Amino acid sequence: MSKVKPSSLPPDTMIGGYRVERKLSAGGFGVVYLAVDSEGQQFAIKEYLPSSLATRAAGELLPQVLPEKLSLYRLGLKSFFEEGRSLAQISHGSVVSVLNFFRENETVYMVMNYLEGGTLQDYIITARDLKKTKVFRESTIRSLFDEILRGLRIVHQHKMLHLDIKPANIFITDDNRAVMIDFGAAREVLSKEGNFIRPMYTPGFAAPEMYRRDSSMGPWTDIYAIGACIYASMQGYPPNDAPQRIEKDRLSLALSRLRGVYSDNLIEVVQWCMALDPLARPQSVFALQKELSRESARRYTKLTVSERVRLQFDSVVSDTKKTARKASVLGTRFK
Amino acid sequence: MRFSVFQLSRIGGRAMNEDRMGYCYTHESGLFVLADGMGGHPEGEVAAQIVLDTVSALYHKEAKPRVGNPAEFLAGAVLAAHYRIIRHALQKGMLDTPRTTLVAAVVQGASATWVHCGDSRLYLVRDGELLLRTRDHSFLEQEQERAGLKEFEPVNRNILYTCLGSPTKPSLGIAGPFALRQGDKLMLCSDGLWGSLSDAQIVGQLSAQSVAKAVPTLVDSALLAGGEHGDNVTVLAMEWETPDAFAPTRQKPADGAMESSFASTLDAGGLDAEADDLDDAMIERSIAEINAAIRRSAAKKT
Repeated sequence: MSKVKPSSLPPDTMIGGYRVERKLSAGGFGVVYLAVDSEGQQFAIKEYLPSSLATRAAGELLPQVLPEKLSLYRLGLKSFFEEGRSLAQISHGSVVSVLNFFRENETVYMVMNYLEGGTLQDYIITARDLKKTKVFRESTIRSLFDEILRGLRIVHQHKMLHLDIKPANIFITDDNRAVMIDFGAAREVLSKEGNFIRPMYTPGFAAPEMYRRDSSMGPWTDIYAIGACIYASMQGYPPNDAPQRIEKDRLSLALSRLRGVYSDNLIEVVQWCMALDPLARPQSVFALQKELSRESARRYTKLTVSERVRLQFDSVVSDTKKTARKASVLGTRFK
Repeated sequence: MRFSVFQLSRIGGRAMNEDRMGYCYTHESGLFVLADGMGGHPEGEVAAQIVLDTVSALYHKEAKPRVGNPAEFLAGAVLAAHYRIIRHALQKGMLDTPRTTLVAAVVQGASATWVHCGDSRLYLVRDGELLLRTRDHSFLEQEQERAGLKEFEPVNRNILYTCLGSPTKPSLGIAGPFALRQGDKLMLCSDGLWGSLSDAQIVGQLSAQSVAKAVPTLVDSALLAGGEHGDNVTVLAMEWETPDAFAPTRQKPADGAMESSFASTLDAGGLDAEADDLDDAMIERSIAEINAAIRRSAAKKT
């Protein structure tokens, strides 16, 4: 945004007995560092440092909070605690785990396990560049999302919504586990003070109700994002964003290109998850899991000639638009 | 006000589940009810349902956001339920009235008040110890109390001298208000639980784990101990968490029993409605709480 981002802590800074190695990422709510403890074990440490409310000059340790922003800063802190509290209760292989929580430099830090591997986004981009008909095999998609859904189910049981599920937030570790990371948006359910946290969403993965910011968010909101992630894993690109879809929905058209490549059932699952009407989606993770684990004989319906012609015609029309919109980047978070 | 709550009801080896349970709350007050419809009389499950419906309806009417006097409220609501059961029997021209036991608690202003009638129990556990539990209105427990004995000659524990729905006016055991401390656990259960497990087992499980884990563990062990013809087992437990914000941190819908009318008002009143500033003490406390939760989760894993 217009303001300068608070600077992150330089390498070798000591915080709470951990030594910072480098910055891993920075978001609206703070900075994530790679750090090691005295025994040399690596951790990811998230620092609460909302860029819109606090500043920190390069080389400083303590953030400065503008006096008029102090109450919002504290409110955000409360949300940060909520995230920690919720994650602390969840002990599941598919959800990033919180290992420690401490206060220093007049702010707070959340210590999480450091995962080695890559995000689903990295994998999708690598895979699609191979230019094969399939980005991922159907069985890979099914087992990957089965794992993610197990974790998501626990998250929902704890009355949390993730609200920012996207390939960039699904981590695939080198030992082949899928882990949901970044619950930074999850807090929004808990604090209803909409004036504080700006609507944060990732176009393509955010359900239409995320744009409205009304009370209609629920498990189905995360389920929309799951559907979009499956879509991206099949297509190699994120789906159109919800406002575009409301204007003119090309989802089923885009999915029909995948007919014969992926089973009808998987295509239907995506369509079900991504229904614009929240009520038309699976209402619980369990309902979706049930459908996704149905391994009965998969049907593959080929396209008819007329459908193929229509598809071709459509791609001529949409190609011109696409150049203007630029090649899609998976998961840019808007603020 | 913040608490976590978990409830579970299983049919056991019986043909039907005559237990009913539920809870509801506003942002300043919570109500927890459990009723066990009695066998040997017709329509036990109807009696139990009437109790839940009546007590919760009255609570919804009076809790704005608190009920004036919890003890008076509970006594009044339970008697109203009792008369409704009798009216139901009259209307249907039944030869015998349906009957049920009951235990209900109102929690508000960081203290709990409860009522019970029959042999459904309330346990209050603090720091791993049984702080108190209700005394059943059975001849067995009455004798024990009078004699001050721990163990007693086997008297049939199933013979109760009072319940709701019987033609004689029920006698109610009302207790409280009892101040709650953070970490206290309040559990309501039917005799299907305590009939199969000892108080020590119940207290042990309840204090070892979160209610979300303890309740299923308890119910499972009671079902196992109850065997093939075991009774319905119903448990509703609540952990009192912090005295300043009010909304369950985790919960699970009722198992079959009355989900629609009663189960829970998921967002009654804004969560943390007042954006109170965190002071240093609260920050420290939050951090301590989170670390305690992390340790608990880690302990569970191993």
